[in-house]
Amino acid sequence: MKNNQMTPKRKKTFTQVMNTPKVAGYVFILPFIIGFLAFLAIPMIFSLGFSFTRYNILKSPVFIGLENYKAMFTADPKFWKVFGVTMYYVLFSVPLRLLMALLVAMLLVKSTKMSGFYRAVYYLPSIIGSSVAVAILWKRMFASDGVINAILGIIGLPSDIAWLGRADTAIWTLIILAVWQFGSSMLIFLSGLKQIPISLYEAATVDGANGIQRFFKITIPMLTPTIFFNLINQLINGFMAFTQSYIITQGKPKDTTLFYTVYMYQNSFTYNKLGYGCAMAWFMVFVVGLLTLILFKTQKKWVYYESEG
Amino acid sequence: MRKRLLATSLAALIAATSLAGCGSKTEKVDTATTAAEATEAATTKADDGAKTASGDKVSLNICWWGNQTRNDVTKKAADLYMSKNPNVEIKVEFTDWGGYWDKLSAMAAGGNLPDIIQMDYSYLNQYQKSGQLANLSEFISSGIIDTSKIPASIIESGSIDGNCYALSLGSNAPLMVYDKAIVEKAGVTIPEQMTYDELYDISKTIYEKTGVKTVYDGWINMLQMTARANGSHIFDELMAGKEDSTKIHFANVEKFQKAEFSIAPDILVEKNPDNIETKPIVDETTWNDFPYSNQFISLSNAAGRELEVTMNPVLTKDSQNMYLKPSQFFSIAETSKNKEEAAKFIDWFTNSVECNEILMAERGIPVNTEVADAIKPKVDAVAQKVFDYVAKVAEIAVPIDAPDPAGKGEVEALTKSVVEAIRYGDTTADEAAASFVPEAKKILEEAAK
Repeated sequence: MKNNQMTPKRKKTFTQVMNTPKVAGYVFILPFIIGFLAFLAIPMIFSLGFSFTRYNILKSPVFIGLENYKAMFTADPKFWKVFGVTMYYVLFSVPLRLLMALLVAMLLVKSTKMSGFYRAVYYLPSIIGSSVAVAILWKRMFASDGVINAILGIIGLPSDIAWLGRADTAIWTLIILAVWQFGSSMLIFLSGLKQIPISLYEAATVDGANGIQRFFKITIPMLTPTIFFNLINQLINGFMAFTQSYIITQGKPKDTTLFYTVYMYQNSFTYNKLGYGCAMAWFMVFVVGLLTLILFKTQKKWVYYESEG
Repeated sequence: MRKRLLATSLAALIAATSLAGCGSKTEKVDTATTAAEATEAATTKADDGAKTASGDKVSLNICWWGNQTRNDVTKKAADLYMSKNPNVEIKVEFTDWGGYWDKLSAMAAGGNLPDIIQMDYSYLNQYQKSGQLANLSEFISSGIIDTSKIPASIIESGSIDGNCYALSLGSNAPLMVYDKAIVEKAGVTIPEQMTYDELYDISKTIYEKTGVKTVYDGWINMLQMTARANGSHIFDELMAGKEDSTKIHFANVEKFQKAEFSIAPDILVEKNPDNIETKPIVDETTWNDFPYSNQFISLSNAAGRELEVTMNPVLTKDSQNMYLKPSQFFSIAETSKNKEEAAKFIDWFTNSVECNEILMAERGIPVNTEVADAIKPKVDAVAQKVFDYVAKVAEIAVPIDAPDPAGKGEVEALTKSVVEAIRYGDTTADEAAASFVPEAKKILEEAAK
């Protein structure tokens, strides 16, 4: 820890030193810096180191070079399976969630008396959505004697489906849960929508553009920076999903809902292969980094910034 | 200006407290290292422990996993011990099962395990092999831990290479639980112990008469029981790459799964039999299940109906696979500074009637036979069944398998995956055995490194 700001130079009093803009600035960001170092940067460096070791937590780590990475890519079929499951989940849950968020944001953008209330209500799921309580609620809803089947029964559809027990439906219960948590993207879309100048719509209306044309020619292009931001954010969130798979399905059936993060956790703490778990984590960092990079590269093609004219 | 002064001093205050936080942390590390040094010193003159203890207050840390009942009674017992031994201060810590092992391994890595650790049979080997556990045999031979009323097989169950590293706190046995009303309605009688074939026939009759389905436990415990009925030890077989018992077990899973009376695989996944509260017997989806005896009380509570117990099935009438299992142990950390005081507490915990009247067999049937006899009349009817059942198993039990090797957790997960594939009809029993055994062997070899 840097202690130098605590030992003032002799000429000035402590208060004087603290009041110089430089020192004050550093002191203000110090809590963050400490948190960042202690809980993020240093652990990450350690985990990178551990990823080159065989480390079962109880014994000291043994350096084994790239063995963990080699085993991961060549000798662990489950690794590729969970990677596939996670990609599938991200591929469907992220676009669907953004779509849902945009849709609801469009509905809520008009200010009415109740709009504040509605915004709060629609935002709620994204606060509580990844909690254990909701995970358990979800499990009950999709049980074969749960409310979803009961509703299907009322409208005359087959109502004896074990949603969580079937290999083809279990992952979709998790995707739907993810889509339901659209709140934070929705808020960002809302502010994005509000920044679109009304004059553009007025001009378009005068020129005879209908609602659909206005949406695709004005709203969407003007909203692309927001869409881009949401996409990156949600993509990273999607890869980090954990609770849903860990609590609702435990990866079952047949590992079709076993998320990458859960398998990583199992390796690290259930199988005591922390070195391997760290290697998995770093591969995930690489994949997310790569995808983000690709998205940034494609940015020029579809994201429209007003300042560029 | 004043505002700015306020803000800076506030920030300074925050910074100072966070620095202080860091400071105390480093201090902690320092004490940990001195503690390690002290332990080295202490082990050389272990006998002096008691003398220094009489002067200062000795503090003992105890860590366990459990449930609310266990937390309450154990805390109460610790309070009683402290009132009787004013020189001892006991600090307790508890979590649930899952978090417990994460926490414990982190503590082990930091070299600050609690003095007394609640240990499980499946983790005993790993912790002992990495030198984390103190040898209890010296305390047993010196009489600090009195084992005269404890059967030798119990001491044996916590021993590795002839030395005891963990003292069992209660006896447990695997069992098959069944719903009394359903079985009576179907008009069948459940023998004290049946063969797999008899179980198949009974299941069929029950389904025909009542429509209630059967669950056949496919996972590692049943695989282990099948190997035992087959006269071998599953992890020895897997390490040798032998398929014998695995084949029998997978064939049984397949046979039961294909029967009309079996619970459908997707319903089974949905119910999640890993949780006591959601086992399919609880809502009468099935008439049977395969828990351990100390889970019988909570399972009966969850079901809210009268359940009965019988022994696990065997291959043939003349084979036997039943065993008594330590439900959990107390171990002493090798790094503990107060090993002798810890041993005294463990002695009291297992041998005192007074203490066990508080604990009420929550950790399984007390291992001290006199204590067990003293407690038995005081428990309720459901717990009585467990007492009787464990006593019955004790008469015929054959010794338990050696503690599971490192890598068991991963083999267990693999068993689940493979058995699921069989249940969903993605693979046959023979194919599954052929792919499972080499894979399991690889895991065990890797974990042994």
